[in-house]
Amino acid sequence: MSMHWAALLPSLACDNSPRTDPADLAVWALQFTPRVARAHQAVLLEVESSLRLFAGEDHLHQLVEAGALELGITALAWAPTSLAALACARVGIRDGFAGPLAKVLDPLPLACIDAVHAHGTTLARLGCKTLADVRKLPRGGISRRFDSQLLLALDQAYGLRPEGYRWEILPETFSAKLELPGRVDTAPALMFGARRLLVQMGGWLAARQCGVTAFTLRWCHDAMRAKDAGDGGEITVRTAQPTHNVDHLSRLLAENLAKVTLKAPAGDLILSATDVTPFIEDNRSLIPDDRTTGEALNLVLERIEARLGKKRVLRPVLTEDTRIEWMNHWQALHAKRPATQVRQVPGPQPTWILKTPLQLDVKGDRPLYQGPLQLLLGPERIEGGWWHRVQDAEGHQRSLNVARDYWVALSQHAGVLWIFQQRLPKETGPSWFLHGLFA
Amino acid sequence: MSSALQWIVNAEPPTGAGQSRPFDVGQLPNRVSQALWRGTELGRADKTVVSSGFVSLDAQLPGGGWPCNAVTEILQPQLPLCEWRLLSPALAGLSASGGHILLVGPPKRPHVPGLIQLGISDKNLVWMAADTPAERLWTTEQLVKANPRGGAILAWLPQARAEQIRRLQVHAQSCDGPVFLFRPQAAQFDASPAPLRVSVTLGADWQLLLHILKRKGALMDGVIAIPSIPGTLASVFTPRLLHPSQLMAKTEVAHVHALGRTVTQPRLRQLAAH
Repeated sequence: MSMHWAALLPSLACDNSPRTDPADLAVWALQFTPRVARAHQAVLLEVESSLRLFAGEDHLHQLVEAGALELGITALAWAPTSLAALACARVGIRDGFAGPLAKVLDPLPLACIDAVHAHGTTLARLGCKTLADVRKLPRGGISRRFDSQLLLALDQAYGLRPEGYRWEILPETFSAKLELPGRVDTAPALMFGARRLLVQMGGWLAARQCGVTAFTLRWCHDAMRAKDAGDGGEITVRTAQPTHNVDHLSRLLAENLAKVTLKAPAGDLILSATDVTPFIEDNRSLIPDDRTTGEALNLVLERIEARLGKKRVLRPVLTEDTRIEWMNHWQALHAKRPATQVRQVPGPQPTWILKTPLQLDVKGDRPLYQGPLQLLLGPERIEGGWWHRVQDAEGHQRSLNVARDYWVALSQHAGVLWIFQQRLPKETGPSWFLHGLFA
Repeated sequence: MSSALQWIVNAEPPTGAGQSRPFDVGQLPNRVSQALWRGTELGRADKTVVSSGFVSLDAQLPGGGWPCNAVTEILQPQLPLCEWRLLSPALAGLSASGGHILLVGPPKRPHVPGLIQLGISDKNLVWMAADTPAERLWTTEQLVKANPRGGAILAWLPQARAEQIRRLQVHAQSCDGPVFLFRPQAAQFDASPAPLRVSVTLGADWQLLLHILKRKGALMDGVIAIPSIPGTLASVFTPRLLHPSQLMAKTEVAHVHALGRTVTQPRLRQLAAH
């Protein structure tokens, strides 16, 4: 059976980008195939049986390479055997399928394969510079003079003997840590590192076929922090629908991070998936849609909520109350909605209301609002609310009792208004308030 | 030579070239006549429209309704004025078929029992209390990009500039629902990339006076008066209340009379003192 291997080599150089741990890399890679192994400081994937699922070789190559790039992996190679892939990755050859395997491997230097590199000096003295030179030596002589590993590794690399690995096991929970290359002073700048962690989490979620509904990003301040800054901070981001869409998650996180101020520079980031639920993907249609669909509306509403705040993206809830202010209240987008059916209010109702009624000037006995008002219909007495008690700022109990006579009034400039005459308390005399508009 | 002249004299003018007889479109092949548009005609909407619910208004709108795939500007002299009176017939239809009605930065709190009476369901109503101009624009843009199918977006943008509206218009071309932008009347003198601009004022006796500032096709002169009694008030009105302008005129007269009396009283007293 032919095999299709990939080798991912985490960069060992001390450059500026944060390093990804091979263990985290292996977890991310498990979304493509269950056959993932860690060996020789690299992560090896066998994807032959996944090619069909990921719509062919080219598409899978693109997916793996794009993901690896986001995780900061640049040394990556494809080959029919794992050791050949690793050797190609080490010298910077991307595609080991370019020709017959022997032709690809023969010109490579000895250092490409660890078991050969171990005897590098002796072999060099024998005049060997490339793998082809070693292969030309008599096999009997090699096996007597060097250990058995050398011949075994060479045969495995050239596909003459089978390879065996212990496959990685997908962890039950996800938590990944990233050491930032430099100190980060502002919360939005954490996004760079957090995005890499989110990509890892996306891989883990895809491998588990789960979606996340809450995840936590924790940051640790470095040792040079001020005393009162504490160890670090964290934010938890929640989504309404389980998702493993990394772009959506990172946009949500970016909106949330924009509102955070760091008390001290941060050095480490830890991302963990807090709430995870099984995820059922939509069926893909064979026939392409005639129009590219926009992002699902609830994802967009969620993002708007993340920027504006929970108190500013609202849905109405109706309650049975005769008082206008309490006929409907507003709650956050994903708050639980009561299941009770509310009866419709009889009689005309305005379409806009003022949060607090606006007291109107009175000229003679007529209320004024942008000129004199013509009272058309009324009065409609609305009374009640003695049962509705609230505690004000000083801790006193106060009843929200109202006794009002509502009128429909017409203004020449402002349209049709819903105004009321206050009946309580009596001593202040008749006072008029604007409460709503029939817009 | 003479025969040629003779031919010219005898020749009849070609069909349709006469000044009295208009060109008959029916002579053209079917495909051509369908694609033909004259400057005096109303433009056709090549996209879907949502009927406004007013026959006289539909007759003046290209395609016969509020356009989808485009932004529509509605200019009002002050901000909460007659939004629901004008749009509720169209929105009620969308809401009944399960579309979302998305409000971005409305000037007052929406009163849902009133909206339900107009046929707008509370199930799919979302109020986004965006305050600053930047928040309003960002939220509107996100929603337009999201393409809420079968729904409508209502955004109040008192301070939007032309290039910002252009950006919304570009996104709206791939949005399947109508997008209404409410702007102040003062914006009518600024250029705007919105393909349809309607200015609304209140008229006498429950009329809304609409002036279409910009539309596809011929310019519109004059105003359209559409009768619209807000909400369910029509069911409780007495016949007298259907003509409030007469009531108001009476009150004005009474007040002028009263004013005259207050002026004349001291004058009389002065006269008596002499």
